[in-house]
Amino acid sequence: MDETLDVKGCLRRWKEGDESAAEELIRHLHPVISKIVRIHLPRRDDESDLVQEILMKTFSRLHQYKGDAPISHWVSRLALTTCLDRLRAQKIRPEIRHADLTPEDSDVFDAAWLTGSTPDGRDAIAARDLVDKILSSLSAEDRSLILMVDLEGRSLQEISETTGWSVSKIKMRLFRVRPQLRQMIQKLEKQK
Amino acid sequence: MNTKEDEKWQALLALSGPTFAGDAEPPYGFVTATLARLRAENRQQEEFERIGWRALLASLGALAVAATVTLSVNLHDRGGDFEPGVNGAVQMESIQLS
Repeated sequence: MDETLDVKGCLRRWKEGDESAAEELIRHLHPVISKIVRIHLPRRDDESDLVQEILMKTFSRLHQYKGDAPISHWVSRLALTTCLDRLRAQKIRPEIRHADLTPEDSDVFDAAWLTGSTPDGRDAIAARDLVDKILSSLSAEDRSLILMVDLEGRSLQEISETTGWSVSKIKMRLFRVRPQLRQMIQKLEKQK
Repeated sequence: MNTKEDEKWQALLALSGPTFAGDAEPPYGFVTATLARLRAENRQQEEFERIGWRALLASLGALAVAATVTLSVNLHDRGGDFEPGVNGAVQMESIQLS
């Protein structure tokens, strides 16, 4: 992705006060940031505002960017840290019960897990709602870690580079959070 | 080892997959709004810097004036051997009584 834009040139032009360089950078970085925000933040938050906040942070810290790694990596880390800060500020909800599920959630629960139905657009939104509800009882770090591993399929090394956590710390977290997740799903099934 | 619960979790994630995809293009008006905010923040930053420099220069000026006044008073006082009150007493002592 970074090959499509002369990032160094853009940075130089931006420092010289060229606003079109800032526009190019915004357009270049928006998909990266928007993806991270959408994955790591529950939908109830105002996504667009947060993307803009991350872009503001990016521009105010551009002088710290050394250029030794692609700018998208540098920005990904900044975006993830901001999302984690936002998640930490939200109260962790108590563990979800089957009675908390909406009729749509309940349908998805049966469709995806029991009958294995083909996903359509409506199911996807309800499934996302259910995923958010299940993950909302985990800590911000555990929530993001589970999504990076299970949804994005990222390696432990990649996660370590993005988060700054050591690989052993990541393994330890996964070891601790997996049974928690399984237990939650088991409970939901039993309560049906 | 994958348990039944892991498989169910994966199925749920697969089902919700499309809702996690980011936007390839910023929404309409986003770039303009971001540029405007960037411009405003830059202006504010410049303003703060200007105010900061002015405050610094004013403090330095006040410090220089205070130092000059202290120094000149000090030099002026060195003219006598005693403090002003003591000087008065000495002068009283030297008044000749007829």
